[in-house]
Amino acid sequence: MAPQGRLVRTRKITPKTVQPVLREDQIEIDDFNSLQNAYKVETGVEGKEENEYHLQAALKSTTAGDKETEEIPAPPAVESTDINYDALYKKTFVKPVTYIRVSETVEDCIGCRYDIDGEDELWLQSFNQGKSANQKCSDDVFERIMDSFEETAAEQAPYASVDNTSIPFETLSATIKLMHPKWLLFAAEIYEHWKARRLASGNGSIQPSLKFETHQEKDDADPYVCFRRREMRQTRKTRARDVQSTDKLKKLRLELENARQLVKLAHQRETQKQDTLRCDKNVFEQRFKVKVAKNKLGIKGDDDDFINQKPQKRKSEMPQLPRGTPQMRLPARSDGRPLEADLILLSDVLAQKEIALQKEIDEKTQQHRKWNQGHVDLTRDPLSPVNGQGLETGFRPATAQYQYLMTPPSSVTSESFDQPSPAQDKQLENFAFRYSPPPEEEEHRGQPAYRRRIGRGGRLWIDRRGMCGAVKNVDENMSDRWKYDQDDDEEQPVYEVDPYDTKSLRFRATIPFPPHFFPQHSQQQGRPRPIGPNPANRAIAQVPQPAAPP
Amino acid sequence: MAGGSQSQEPAVGSEVPRKKGKATIDTLRIGCLAMVAKEGRHRRAEILSIKETKSGRQFYCNFDNFNKRLDEWVPAVRIDFNQDVEWPNPEKPKEPKKAAAPVAKKTTAPKKGQKRPVATREASTASEGETPRDWNGSLESQKATPDAEGDDKPILALDLDEATPGAEDDDDAMDIDDAVAEAVKAKNQPPEHFSREEEIEKLRTGGSMTQNQAEISRIRNISKVQFGKYDLFPWYFSPYPEMFTQEDLMYICEFCLCYYGDLKAFTRHRQKCTMQHPPGNEIYRDDYVSFFEIDGRRQRTWCRNLCLLSKMFLDHKTLYYDVDPFLFYVMTTRDEKGCHLVGYFSKEKESADGYNVACILTLPQFQRKGYGRLLIQFSYELSKIESKLGSPEKPLSDLGLLSYRQYWTENLVEILLDYNERDVGVSIETLSSKLAMTPNDVESTLQALKMQVYHKGEHKIILPTHLIKRHEALMEKQKTNPKRQIEPARIQWKPPVFNASTRTWAW
Repeated sequence: MAPQGRLVRTRKITPKTVQPVLREDQIEIDDFNSLQNAYKVETGVEGKEENEYHLQAALKSTTAGDKETEEIPAPPAVESTDINYDALYKKTFVKPVTYIRVSETVEDCIGCRYDIDGEDELWLQSFNQGKSANQKCSDDVFERIMDSFEETAAEQAPYASVDNTSIPFETLSATIKLMHPKWLLFAAEIYEHWKARRLASGNGSIQPSLKFETHQEKDDADPYVCFRRREMRQTRKTRARDVQSTDKLKKLRLELENARQLVKLAHQRETQKQDTLRCDKNVFEQRFKVKVAKNKLGIKGDDDDFINQKPQKRKSEMPQLPRGTPQMRLPARSDGRPLEADLILLSDVLAQKEIALQKEIDEKTQQHRKWNQGHVDLTRDPLSPVNGQGLETGFRPATAQYQYLMTPPSSVTSESFDQPSPAQDKQLENFAFRYSPPPEEEEHRGQPAYRRRIGRGGRLWIDRRGMCGAVKNVDENMSDRWKYDQDDDEEQPVYEVDPYDTKSLRFRATIPFPPHFFPQHSQQQGRPRPIGPNPANRAIAQVPQPAAPP
Repeated sequence: MAGGSQSQEPAVGSEVPRKKGKATIDTLRIGCLAMVAKEGRHRRAEILSIKETKSGRQFYCNFDNFNKRLDEWVPAVRIDFNQDVEWPNPEKPKEPKKAAAPVAKKTTAPKKGQKRPVATREASTASEGETPRDWNGSLESQKATPDAEGDDKPILALDLDEATPGAEDDDDAMDIDDAVAEAVKAKNQPPEHFSREEEIEKLRTGGSMTQNQAEISRIRNISKVQFGKYDLFPWYFSPYPEMFTQEDLMYICEFCLCYYGDLKAFTRHRQKCTMQHPPGNEIYRDDYVSFFEIDGRRQRTWCRNLCLLSKMFLDHKTLYYDVDPFLFYVMTTRDEKGCHLVGYFSKEKESADGYNVACILTLPQFQRKGYGRLLIQFSYELSKIESKLGSPEKPLSDLGLLSYRQYWTENLVEILLDYNERDVGVSIETLSSKLAMTPNDVESTLQALKMQVYHKGEHKIILPTHLIKRHEALMEKQKTNPKRQIEPARIQWKPPVFNASTRTWAW
């Protein structure tokens, strides 16, 4: 029906619109109702039913504010007159203190699924007639047997109502036998009754049951078919789901198999242990007998035969056992994949080889050193010194300044030819004895050091290191200029503060020898040579010594 | 007001002109429209079924503009044979089709503003109503087959003939908004068939339990049910085992909801049954009622039984699909025998449309006692805990609409009076979040109560005097005779979480 009345709405109401709330008497409109009717109200009731007489009457009465609201008539429920409620519902209920929580299903609560009906009752009465008390079939037993028949029938011939299969008694009685052999006496006769009832109900289930879908075309039209499965999702996922469940089953099977293996092996182990113990006991008893016999016969000797002789052998056997266990377990892995732990990685092998190699080298080096102990190689073309020692240890702390100042440089002396050899601890100690070196405040780099060596062609070299960068240019003019022409004025006070400071001492140590010490100065100049494996320790300048003929 | 008409327009049967004429008790057949005495006067009624009883022939009548629950078997004396009977329009012979093939032919013509499913259902009944059927053929064919159950069995005309009237027949019946439908109809069968499949498809994929299935018989099949202390008279068809339709009385166990046609069997069952409360977790308890939460998947049998039971009182419920995707919130009262089922609502575990209730029912013996209101309130309390806005699934039944309207009205009026006193404005959104109602429900309630007005260039909410008075009366009554309320603090509930596998609908 088209809505009547004025359609005055100019602005739409949105759910967010804030509207004033007024009572009817707070608004001065003559005809309040004239503002209505603009809306067609959604009721949510089906279109055809919306117009139903009683509904409309009821709606009208509520909206118009009638005193008595109309009710929709409906067939009422009445209290039953002809039942004995208390007999039917015997159990009393005690309300638990806490909220009830249960998960029992209907099937859990109703006992035997088969219920004796009127027809069964009559049959059972006649069956029990004239029988002694212990030959009678009770209601419960009857129901159990009938239920078993029905269940087996539903299992064995689910389409009995269509193809009219009848189940022979032999099939049915098997289950009865399992339940209670004595019931077989009744079962044969109940079978006849059951069969007759089945046939009467079209060979279907005796008890009325709901109609479920049978996937026949006519299902959709049958209003009695209900509670269909919603198959959509399942069909869409069948394959994936199948694979999934197959995998799950496989996995489960494997795990069960493994568990079984484990138990089996554990059992084996324990029996073996038992055997061992038995043997031990046997041995002990035998020894005891031996001892008794010995005492009797008065034999005296060592009692070695009373002690297990080879405890060590046992020990060596023991470690084999734990190794054996994982090996025994291995076959239990069905996939035949070895344990990860047993895998040998290439990198590990390589590392091991590397270590072995290094060890050998170290050993050889050590040996080499031993051989060279106390020897200096002064051959013309000496072999390059053994890696890791010669060059490095050839340096000695540069206390030379003082040495130089106090005594003539030791290098000049003939004895000292021994010294520039790869440094030996003893020599170092000797050196330290004479000039106790200043305490090491900085890293190695900071310690000026020198060494003398004889190069190819018999040239004598003095290598220095740990020198300050200031000595880069040793040209006398340049050094002079550098010495007295400092840009940085601020360094002066630092220098003056403590002239005996290690830094300043070191600085002084860098002051080159006066030129008269180097008559061949110009010849060797400009051929600096980096020395040492560490570039940080390289010799900043080489001060060639006058070549001393060997 | 929707539709708003109180007039007795013919709604039963086709609005197509029909052949009229006098009939006798013997010539009256299924599909005829006759004048039948009901509530003091003769009303137009469609005859849906005919049966023979010892006292004579009886006719199952569906009355114009009366809910189906008022359908009844009437003896011939109540039919006015002095007035003309409208005969079902003769059908061109067609190959028999599956029942209710004409369903949902207007699927493609949804009414404005309504969601598709609603439109579908609406259309389906509409077409059902206006489609003349040749019941005769099927009746005769049924009669021709030897009927084991004897004459007393109602002849259920399930095998509805394919019944699409030609387009020219339908012209009068057309609504304006059915123009699209007309186009569809003109194409005739293929689209129909398609929509039917579409509807089943919708059933299959949607979570809904309230689809209207045309193939569900329009005829009540169970006459009387003993449930606990009460005798219930079912309102609608329910797919209990077909053999129960022959029983005068069916027995349902009050606790496990199992059904029996035989008294001895029922008695035996009662001796064995140990259930005393719904098989789930109690999530609410006060001195009056308890609520249980039951998972359709875990308690399949119980929930199926519950659905069968409630189908007898819910027209638009469908049992087409299983109960797995639903949770059932069951309200009970306690006494020394156990927790007695009073009512319940079901709720989709995951609702695509944001519904917080799928089906809701108070059993007839507890109706008109305020229990429905508690159920509705509880459903909104759950939504509040979930921090969601909820709405009941559509379509609502007439009783459902009234109950919801009442709940919504009371709550809205209470809140609005408060705003009015404080002289503060309010938006629909605020109201909706306060009550966990969807804005749509708030708006439609305000409109239905004529509270939403447009005045002097602005939208206003006006509280009608009669509603204020009613509210005050309610408050007054509350002092002496407090109305039952759900106390949210007593709810022990966390929104259940379902992972993909538990949510799966199939096994």
